[in-house]
Amino acid sequence: QDEVMTSSGTEKALSLLRRLPRVSIGNLGPNPGAHNEKRRGRGIYGGKTHGAGSGGSGQRQNFMRVGYETGNTPFYLRFSYQTYYKGHHLKLSYTPLCMGKLQMMIDTNRLRCDVPVDVTQLMATGLFSISPQQKEGGFMLENEGIDHFKATINIEVQWANEAVIASVERNGGFITTAYFDPLSLTAAIKPVEFFGRGIAIPRRMLPPQHLIDYYSDPKNRGYLADPAEVARERFLLAQKYGYELPDVNASPNKDILLERKDPRQIFFGLEPGWVVNLKDKVILKPTDPELKEHFAS
Amino acid sequence: MTCSAPRLLLQHLTRNVQGLNATLSVAGYKSAVSLDKIYPASDLDVTKLQTPPKTDGLNFSGYVPMNKVQVTYSRSNGPGGQNVNKINTKVDLRLQVTTADWLSPELKERIAKKYKSSITADGFLVVRSDKTRSQQLNLADAMDKLRHMIHTAAYVPPPPSAEDEERARRRHEASVRERLRQKKAHSLLKQGRQIPQWDE
Repeated sequence: QDEVMTSSGTEKALSLLRRLPRVSIGNLGPNPGAHNEKRRGRGIYGGKTHGAGSGGSGQRQNFMRVGYETGNTPFYLRFSYQTYYKGHHLKLSYTPLCMGKLQMMIDTNRLRCDVPVDVTQLMATGLFSISPQQKEGGFMLENEGIDHFKATINIEVQWANEAVIASVERNGGFITTAYFDPLSLTAAIKPVEFFGRGIAIPRRMLPPQHLIDYYSDPKNRGYLADPAEVARERFLLAQKYGYELPDVNASPNKDILLERKDPRQIFFGLEPGWVVNLKDKVILKPTDPELKEHFAS
Repeated sequence: MTCSAPRLLLQHLTRNVQGLNATLSVAGYKSAVSLDKIYPASDLDVTKLQTPPKTDGLNFSGYVPMNKVQVTYSRSNGPGGQNVNKINTKVDLRLQVTTADWLSPELKERIAKKYKSSITADGFLVVRSDKTRSQQLNLADAMDKLRHMIHTAAYVPPPPSAEDEERARRRHEASVRERLRQKKAHSLLKQGRQIPQWDE
């Protein structure tokens, strides 16, 4: 064995190993500072009072009620209401759907465009969640991706702006904006669940006062607007955005593109008043004339 | 398969029930607020062909036939990273003024005169737009610019009325009178500084 003049760390370690007893649990210990030796705070100074100060009701956590301003009229009682949120309980919010996402869903076969697309079809993709109880009205189409939108589609949403309408129509499609009241929307977004409840399909209610103008306007392609005026607006929009309106009569999907719901209808192909039994695969229709009259009103 | 349940059900029913028309009665559902009841006078045809309004004389109707206009796309300038480098958002709209039969000859002449600087040697009126990040919106902007050009070329200001002409004449004469008065006053001032010359 070589004897080294200056013993290095390795040599020291090896010599220790030769001399010292066997390592066991009894002779192991932590490095200094490995364990926190902090004791619970006592005394009046430093951080040992757990942020509550020293003595008094502060340390005893004896607080007054939230918002109390030691006697003067507190802020939350000074102003009983604020005008900025007036009518908030009536206003609806809509799930944004970009044109780019819509195109992607069609390209990846997540959404069919060989049938008319409405809330039910869009919810069937499984990519969205709508809660009508939280005052959500449905879908609104957004501008993002209008340049890349290439599909010919018959789509029904709840809100759409001019550029979106132009991008749908320049590709030969049709777009309609339609209102669904909360109960109808609950049925429309989850039809199977709704049919399982065994109740008659309700009539869709008309829009409230502040929305009826929007849905009666042909510029917004509202479902309550005159289709002849919508035809004129289609022509004007094509002129504004610089494209030629494709002829629908020449298209092979003409009947799909022109299919529309009645204002009282929730589902394509189903009338209000019908009870759909998915288990036995039958539809029960009302026979009582009073009921028939009600559901056709 | 994202086929809606009602549609599948309907298909099932129509296949399994004999002697029933495929459309059943659902296609004919009409409530009390159906469109034919809201608009009884309308033909409810959304595919109705619209006749474009004609332009006669200097009265431009606003209609621009898109098949008579050439649109090309290119990349825009300015900041925007990969998007502005790759996407063709700039729009170049060209219209041959001389062969535009949808414009009247006098209007074409006025356009050629007023927008001489925007017309190429081949006779194409050029309108460009890269205002927004979207090709579609830029095309709308270019169409708007084109219509604005035609409208401003067609605009003939009304002739001044007799009152306006009279007012202009009186003001001109007043300014001439004032100019001559000031000139004469200045001349007198200068004369007054001369040493008076008397004949002896």
